[in-house]
Amino acid sequence: MRLLLLLVWLLAVGAVGVRAQQLLDWSSDEIRAVGQHGPWPPPPVRDPSNKVSGTPAGIALGEHLFNEPRLSGDGRMSCAKCHQAGREWSDGLAKARGAVELDRRTPSLWNVGYLHWFGWDGAGDSLWAQSIRPLLDPREMNGGPTRAGEFLRSDLAFACGYERAFGSKPGTDDERLLVDTAKALAAFQATLVSPRAPFDDFRDALVSGDRESAARYPLAAQRGLKLFIGEANCNLCHLGPRFTSGEFGDIGIPFFVRPGEVDSGRLGGLGRLAANPFNLLGKYNDDATGNNARRTRHVQRQHANFGEFRVPGLRQVGRSGPYMHNGSLATLEDVIRHYSEVSPDRLHSDGIPLVRPLGLSAEQSADLVAFLRSLDAEPLARPSPAPLCP
Amino acid sequence: MRLAAALLGTLLATPAWADCALDLGRGTGWVVFSEHYLMAFRPDPLRIEVGEPFALILNVCTRNGGAAELLAVDANMPEHRHGMNYRATIVAKGDGRFRAEGFLFHMPGRWEITFDVRAGDDSERLTHDIILK
Ligand SMILES: [Cu+2]
Repeated sequence: MRLLLLLVWLLAVGAVGVRAQQLLDWSSDEIRAVGQHGPWPPPPVRDPSNKVSGTPAGIALGEHLFNEPRLSGDGRMSCAKCHQAGREWSDGLAKARGAVELDRRTPSLWNVGYLHWFGWDGAGDSLWAQSIRPLLDPREMNGGPTRAGEFLRSDLAFACGYERAFGSKPGTDDERLLVDTAKALAAFQATLVSPRAPFDDFRDALVSGDRESAARYPLAAQRGLKLFIGEANCNLCHLGPRFTSGEFGDIGIPFFVRPGEVDSGRLGGLGRLAANPFNLLGKYNDDATGNNARRTRHVQRQHANFGEFRVPGLRQVGRSGPYMHNGSLATLEDVIRHYSEVSPDRLHSDGIPLVRPLGLSAEQSADLVAFLRSLDAEPLARPSPAPLCP
Repeated sequence: MRLAAALLGTLLATPAWADCALDLGRGTGWVVFSEHYLMAFRPDPLRIEVGEPFALILNVCTRNGGAAELLAVDANMPEHRHGMNYRATIVAKGDGRFRAEGFLFHMPGRWEITFDVRAGDDSERLTHDIILK
């Protein structure tokens, strides 16, 4: 029946009319708001705290290390076990599985180099500091503090790759070699930039006034985008080209991990940040100006941080569920339902009233999902990395 | 995010305030005053971007031209009932001049900056709104 109506309508408006009908009216404020979600891709990452960031030799070493199980305690687990290229650099599981099942989901590594806080709780203030944690964590790779150093010294190819990246042979300082391992890992991860998606073509066309190209973007996605930047206010936190402020929020996901035990989120993360000898206030920060440590120096730990988790970026989101820090929502539809129906009682007492039940209709929910799926694209197949020192 | 335009030409020192240094060096800034106090400030860098750290450069005076003290600077989003995730620290440069480092606005919308100023025993809170787009 619907199809028949559509057909009648198509005949009535004619081909030219159809084109014109496919672009909604966009106000100048809306166009400005849409424009803020691009352009894409952004310029390559250069992290001043990491001297091998953006260097070909550092990136090459990092990719080999990323796939290297010998960095783990039992020689069987690499970073790539949980961060899989074919699964949007995550694992498709609700909760990460290291040596044991963990309490949080494996975050995708897409666009991770552009962040300023790392991990769901922001306990890391640099990508390299964050990369040290799973190398050492007994629940994950369990490498121990000397493993990376011993490996870099003993393996000829890696020792050569290290020398190319860092300018000297691996020395005897195991802590330094652990940090350098993590810096190479970070240099590689920062190259993982998600592909351009249908949204990007629409955004560029809308901003440049190319109505014909803009009209190719599906109507449902256009309506969903209008909601996203309008009534639903999603872009207060999911802002900018990566669709995240990179900060933290409490959106009413239950914080009990098991009876009697809670995941305090950002509150615990800030405690771990302050206690971490590898944070940006420490001696391994390669940025002599200290400018990149401003967030770390000034961040404040507040009661309201309890139950807050990092706002994830939304690129490739439709391909990288399950969702939320604990993987508790299986599909994008579930996520939209959460925001549509979230009970204010579920929010922590200091919860910001930004999160409130949106009360979306079925059509509105479907439109938002259609928009979110327009942030997805098929990534290019990755060639296997060239040998380190052929 | 586009604040530079809003910043331009807001600094108009009148003869009565001539003793107070309201020129922050680039002919740009905001002036805030009450019955007793007068202050000028500008962000550094000039354009505040959502999610990017910035500092404030401030000159604080009494209305009769004396230097005043800046006790605290903070910011919050009144509609959202939250503050910043960061705490600014103040460095006094003498003669009522200050630099407050460590601001970061993590959301677009209305931010209210609060300035606690003091001269002698008398302290007061001044406020100024900034709308980030
Ligand atoms: Cu807010």
